[in-house]
Amino acid sequence: MADTPRTVTAKALWAENPIFRQVLGICSTLAVTNLLANTLFMCFGVIFVTSLSNLTISLLREYIPKRVRMIVQVLIIASYVMMVDIIIKALNPDIHRFIGPYVGLIITNCIIMGRAEAFASQNKPWISLLDGFASGLGYSFILIAIALVREPLGFGTLLGYTLPAKDLWWHQWTIMVMPPGAFFMLAIVTWACRGLQVSKEKTT
Amino acid sequence: MNKSSPAYILTFTLIICAVFGTAVSLVHHGTRGMLEKNKKLHRNRVIARAFELDVPGESAAAYARALENAIQRDTLVHKERAFRTFTHTGQNHIGFVFSGMGFWDAITGILVLTGDLERVVNIQFLEQKETPGLGARIEEPWFTRQFKGLRIDWDALPAERIIVGPSPDPDAQNRVDAITGATQTSIALMRILNEELDTFRKARTASASERL
Repeated sequence: MADTPRTVTAKALWAENPIFRQVLGICSTLAVTNLLANTLFMCFGVIFVTSLSNLTISLLREYIPKRVRMIVQVLIIASYVMMVDIIIKALNPDIHRFIGPYVGLIITNCIIMGRAEAFASQNKPWISLLDGFASGLGYSFILIAIALVREPLGFGTLLGYTLPAKDLWWHQWTIMVMPPGAFFMLAIVTWACRGLQVSKEKTT
Repeated sequence: MNKSSPAYILTFTLIICAVFGTAVSLVHHGTRGMLEKNKKLHRNRVIARAFELDVPGESAAAYARALENAIQRDTLVHKERAFRTFTHTGQNHIGFVFSGMGFWDAITGILVLTGDLERVVNIQFLEQKETPGLGARIEEPWFTRQFKGLRIDWDALPAERIIVGPSPDPDAQNRVDAITGATQTSIALMRILNEELDTFRKARTASASERL
């Protein structure tokens, strides 16, 4: 069955979500989710790169020689990543100083290469753009969900703003902003989402 | 056209490289002004932090004004090394830009000392590309705070005037804790600081004797 915009979006966001279903792009998920602002910039970067690389690779799919297709895909992805890197550096150098190394690593993010190779190189431009965008969104919503827990528990803030009545409820839970906190949260999110998927399958 | 012929592959790859290379260059060119401005603001912020200046607001103009009022900039040249120096006009503190090779790439920062060069007042970093989460933690306040008031043991060997990490003397006054998991960065930082301190003191002595 051919992919429709609806199935492509549903798969990327939920049924085949890159993070909790395919377990791709975990490196940046663990690294940048201790602050929501960092997460948002990273998500912007990944959505931008997955969308445009999918579109470009799909537009060129008839012309890319099979033998060098991987190199060409990496070159296209790397160019967009460099653009994102420059743009984030210009817009917000403070965030860039923190997430800079991970922005560079978007090039090797398996979601992007995976979508380019599995989808964009075999489908039409419009649907490939949508697939890239939806995959980026699927990645983003999990990252944002994790950051929404880690930042308040670890720092007592959200987007840098102190949360109300912080003195009453907040105890510095340092582990939340350290790497182990990311592992715990990712495991909990994966467990919860997969649990939901399984219970849905059982009822249908 | 035969897509697997070497001529096609070569031409296609060259065109792709040229197109995307140009696109990246254009984006870079378009944001150059912003990048320059950000760089200047970052530098001013680090200097202000190093001297603990009171800056009203977060704007670039506020930092520029605060620095203009309190800090005198100079260059100290000794042999082939030129130090950018900063003197706090109100206090007798002098800062200079140090730099050297870290574990991955160059580390640059500002080291502020008391006027007699006996103690460290503060340390702040301008640029470093150490491992995120490990070596990159040299920028974090818990690490830089250790340098405040640190005595420089000028009588010790040139490589051990400031010690980052373990020392045979547990009560050493010139020692700060290294970063767990970032031994190479800690060793590199210790080497950079000691080398730069040595050269800086020589430069300062030479310039003072020239003035006499």
